Amino acid sequence: MSTSPDSLDTVAIFRERIGADLVRFRKFLRQVVRNRLAFAGLILIMFFIVLSLAAPLLVGPYPTQFQRTTPEQPPSDRHLLGTDVQGYDTLTLLLYGGQVSLLIAFTASAVAMIVGTLIGLVAGYYGRLTDQVLSRATDFFLVIPWLPFALILMTIMGPTMATMIIAIALVSWPTTARVIRSQVITIKQRMFITRSRAIGAAGSHILRKHVLPNVMPLVWAEAVLTISGAVFTEAFLSFFGLGPKDNPIFSWGTMVNQSYQDLGLLAGRWWYFGPPGIFITLVVLGFAMLGYGLEEILNPALRRR
Amino acid sequence: MNLRRILLRKLVYVVLTVFLIASLNFFLFQILPGDPTRVLLPKGCGGSNVTSCTLREELKAEWGLDQPVFNRYVIYMTNLLQGNLGKSITFRQGLPVATIIAQRLPITMLLVGIATVFSLWLGIILGRISGWRRGRPSDVLITLSTLFGYSMPSFWVGLLLLFYFGVAIPVFPTFGDRSANFASMDLFSQIADMAWHLVLPALTFVITNVAWFSLTLRNSLTDVLPEDYMVTANAKGLTERQQLRRHALPNARLPLVTAAALYFGWVVSGAIVIEQIFAINGLGQLEWEATLSLDYPLMSGIFLIAALGVVIANAVADILYMLIDPRVREA
Repeated sequence: MSTSPDSLDTVAIFRERIGADLVRFRKFLRQVVRNRLAFAGLILIMFFIVLSLAAPLLVGPYPTQFQRTTPEQPPSDRHLLGTDVQGYDTLTLLLYGGQVSLLIAFTASAVAMIVGTLIGLVAGYYGRLTDQVLSRATDFFLVIPWLPFALILMTIMGPTMATMIIAIALVSWPTTARVIRSQVITIKQRMFITRSRAIGAAGSHILRKHVLPNVMPLVWAEAVLTISGAVFTEAFLSFFGLGPKDNPIFSWGTMVNQSYQDLGLLAGRWWYFGPPGIFITLVVLGFAMLGYGLEEILNPALRRR
Repeated sequence: MNLRRILLRKLVYVVLTVFLIASLNFFLFQILPGDPTRVLLPKGCGGSNVTSCTLREELKAEWGLDQPVFNRYVIYMTNLLQGNLGKSITFRQGLPVATIIAQRLPITMLLVGIATVFSLWLGIILGRISGWRRGRPSDVLITLSTLFGYSMPSFWVGLLLLFYFGVAIPVFPTFGDRSANFASMDLFSQIADMAWHLVLPALTFVITNVAWFSLTLRNSLTDVLPEDYMVTANAKGLTERQQLRRHALPNARLPLVTAAALYFGWVVSGAIVIEQIFAINGLGQLEWEATLSLDYPLMSGIFLIAALGVVIANAVADILYMLIDPRVREA
């Protein structure tokens, strides 16, 4: 492609594609805004993401050991949400805590999506024995009680960010694999797949170029729902005192654990017990609402229900 | 297909899944760095701690811990088949895991049973309203508030209830499943006393899980409402109440049976944090204690029992569904 008309052509094609994608994306956004459930969820999520990311601007750097003050102060002008049992400013912990909780949830969900989508694609497309084996494996992981399983994993691998992410991903991929598999099976029947196969395209090519782009929207919806579950799971594991020890910042679950350990709420000190719980609830709810909303947009059959 | 063959197939499925779960359970402890046998034996042999010395040798011989992986696997499976889940290494050193679990299981089953019944009852009431009035304000209110409850971590809800109704306004007991003078009561007051203790834990379950049932009923109601027989019922001039009770609900209720059975299967997972918070001596609190004291044999035993519960509940759900739904039975 050394001649100029050729490269111009490439640019034009590129622009056209991006343009088409943009139009599609805008259309999709409009649908999201129109779907009240999805929109409310989106707003909730954005609020908490911005709040956590803007933590350094809003409350300054994460406090060190030496920046502690009198512990268990009730809310005041200096400490809007008081201080916790170790003398940290609760509001600061709360905003930074979101970074840990959300980072773990996003990463674990990404891992789960890759595993789940891959297994769903292969099982749905190749069928027969491959499907039998993979589907049985998926069913098997679906019946495993998630909390005892994750607890064993976390205790034998040690409480770190990496193990927390692995443990959450391991308990959350099966649902996605199942959803993607059934979607692949319906897409497989369509004409353009048959046509591709007729002109001799390899299975891997068809999967990548034709099947994957068609299940991708569903993968996004599943990803959002998985994040919701991951925030929840992270909170449970951290409440067990298994919050990542290689990260100095406390997650929301760890904050509730701290309050539980020193009987903070029972002594009436609600300010470092209540807020992290409310934050967990609203984030989980936000992702769940967006996830269900996306499913409704993507799957018109659900909308009529 | 006749009933016996279906039951037989379910049985094969249960046995196979349990076998796989047991295998997973075994190999989980083989992925550890270093010597996998290390975590399965009590530490700190020597000095005054004679119990753990003899226990070490005993366990090593019983589980073949000095043998290659494959031999260990065979020994593990053989022991499991004989109902031997191993011995606790830290929490109650030397006590068989099966015995510890057997002591703790009944109260957990009772708590989860009560919680399931009440969640189901409330779920039916709420789901009926929101499914029938789909899209109207009452539906939006019910759906959002049950989803909100579902999004709350149960440990947090439990602690809130404990604080408000146990400490701030001391109406309910905050500790355990029975009063100190339980043994001296007559049967009737014993039941009342236990029920009184289980109100808050059960309420925690209901708040965080009622969405599971109300949304199931709502969705199945919305599947049923556009059916022809509903149009007919309306055209016959039946009142809304009659349409709902006689025609819609009997059909929409079916998925609830499955939902309830599946829910009951999550006994341990659901009970773990709630029992810990209300200090109820059940399987959930046991899991908490096992985790904190790193008692791996105990943890793996609880995991096995919990998984067994889910698998059996799944099979029961399928069979129940078949028994009550003639369409599935005929097919």
